[in-house]
Amino acid sequence: MTFPSATSTRPTPLRSLGRTLKSELFSTPLDGVITLVLLGFLLAVGTAFVRWMLFQAQWAVIQTNTTLFAVGRYPIEQQWRLWLLTALIAIASGLSWGLLRGKGTWPRNDQVAAGILIALAVFGTWALKLELPIQVRWWGLTGLLLVVRAAAGRWGQALAPTLLRLVPLIWPVLYLVGMVLISGGLGLMRVPPGEWGGLLLTLLEASFAILLCFPLGILLALGRRSELPLLRWGSVLYIEFIRGAPLITLLFLGQNILGFLLPGGLAPDRVWRAAWVLTFFAAAYVAEAVRSGLVALPPGQLEAARSLGLPMHQALIHVVLPQALRVALPATVGQFITLLQDTTLLSLIGLLDLLGTARAVMANPEFLGKNAEVYLVLAVLFWCCCAALGLGSRALETRLNPLSTSKA
Amino acid sequence: MTSSSALPVMIEARGVEKWYPNGFQALRGVDLTVHQGEVVVIMGPSGSGKSTFIRTFNALEDFQKGSIVVDGRPLSNDIRNIDAIRREVGMVFQQFNLFPHLTVLENLTLAPTLVRQRPKREVEQQALDLLERVGIHEQARKYPGQLSGGQQQRVAIARSLCMEPRIMLFDEPTSALDPEMVQEVLAVMQELARDGMTMVVVTHEVRFARQVASRVVLMADGQVVEEAPPEQFFTNPQHERSRQFLSQIA
Repeated sequence: MTFPSATSTRPTPLRSLGRTLKSELFSTPLDGVITLVLLGFLLAVGTAFVRWMLFQAQWAVIQTNTTLFAVGRYPIEQQWRLWLLTALIAIASGLSWGLLRGKGTWPRNDQVAAGILIALAVFGTWALKLELPIQVRWWGLTGLLLVVRAAAGRWGQALAPTLLRLVPLIWPVLYLVGMVLISGGLGLMRVPPGEWGGLLLTLLEASFAILLCFPLGILLALGRRSELPLLRWGSVLYIEFIRGAPLITLLFLGQNILGFLLPGGLAPDRVWRAAWVLTFFAAAYVAEAVRSGLVALPPGQLEAARSLGLPMHQALIHVVLPQALRVALPATVGQFITLLQDTTLLSLIGLLDLLGTARAVMANPEFLGKNAEVYLVLAVLFWCCCAALGLGSRALETRLNPLSTSKA
Repeated sequence: MTSSSALPVMIEARGVEKWYPNGFQALRGVDLTVHQGEVVVIMGPSGSGKSTFIRTFNALEDFQKGSIVVDGRPLSNDIRNIDAIRREVGMVFQQFNLFPHLTVLENLTLAPTLVRQRPKREVEQQALDLLERVGIHEQARKYPGQLSGGQQQRVAIARSLCMEPRIMLFDEPTSALDPEMVQEVLAVMQELARDGMTMVVVTHEVRFARQVASRVVLMADGQVVEEAPPEQFFTNPQHERSRQFLSQIA
């Protein structure tokens, strides 16, 4: 690799790109041949794929089952509750986004994000051949999100700082509201978990497990480094046992054992049993990620905090954990992404998550042999969710770095 | 020595012995008495146990035999007692150990607001005054990573002082600093001594010891070899081990 010297004139981006391509792909005759062969191969595969997508694939299997993929067999007359929840999520997202940015400006990244959202709302709903009223709803929701984002960015900073600090609390509150909206109660008709399905069930299981495995993982990591032998060995035993067993066996075990252990009425529904197993499973892995953050912290940090008179719990909360969790964040989010993908195993224990729904649809004689279409859409959906998690984690990382403003 | 012995005793260590888990004995019966307002400088070759010794004063290290009484409180395994002692004893480390995720000001205000539960505004004012005293109040909103080593160590001193301790411990406070930054830290410590702070300082700075110390203690192999006023210690050491040490650092 060569670095241009400071005195040489700076090449234009296009010319420097050309030079990079030449030096990396065509530096020797053999390199050139390899490059051309690979290019030809990629081109052939690419055109075949595009041709299949446009002319051969029959997307009716997706288009006629959008509701099934989205929410499973959630009763139609109760689906307004899910629309309401989506609207609330749009408002909360717009608020958080706008207040996070402040200053009321739209930096380049935000413009791109807004563009992608609008394109999704217009093109995505068209490609899925949704009915016009539903299409309009999605346009409205996207518009709502962007308008709230604009308003929050414009006027949000005028709020008192104490009020601003409460904004992240919207999300746990919204989560509880969402649970009520989905499952019923408080005057709403009950919709039993057996009727949840599709993307709704996948996101619900994943978010439940992510939210709970995080604090649990922190406690386990602290336990593993505790000076109390009982706590330490208990944590080690738990973590190593869970990490030594495949998730699918634990899921089956959970379905069977919780029924034995708890008397009839108390045993949670199958959906919740699976959610708890996912939580306990992910907690062991999160614990190891957090432990890596704890190990990376110089021991002088805890010593300094303790020598200032901070009791252990305050030293942990204010000095050790903020630093350790920042180090552990990428690995932890990696765990969350794995967890989201692991929810597909729920289809093997008979739950109708995204994959379970897909398998049910593909088993329908009407759509026999349309596996490729279904799996492709599934892959894209999962990729979108995981990409969103990854983007969120990177944004959080830069925000948590105290020197990011001076370095950037 | 005679002039200060009328003052109250702040630290009283008697026959302190410590073994590390691997069986190595780091302290072999160490005695030390520090009166209020005294500045005791502990010197000695590396591995002599001097850092281990002052770290026992605020229970960062435990010990197996002997007794230590700090500010009238005997050091015991009672965690509440240890926290109480730590509130009254400030400590400055070789590696500064500032909290990198907090601003300079937050480094200072964290413990007083949490531990002493004093109002935030009042603590902030005191913290700014302290930062002014150590000459870096214009850096209050920066993060420790943006400061030089000498500035970081002065922040660390101010952070300890913000808890209004009755005793200050310094564990090789200038050893990790570039030479040109040593003086600015020693100057702050010198001023602190002049204001009457009780201090125990582990250091190799001979000039600081000569100018500021009430007594110099030489430790070697986990024991106190010699204890004398600085003039006598540096010009007329009584023990062979002391002469040997002084010839090595001179």
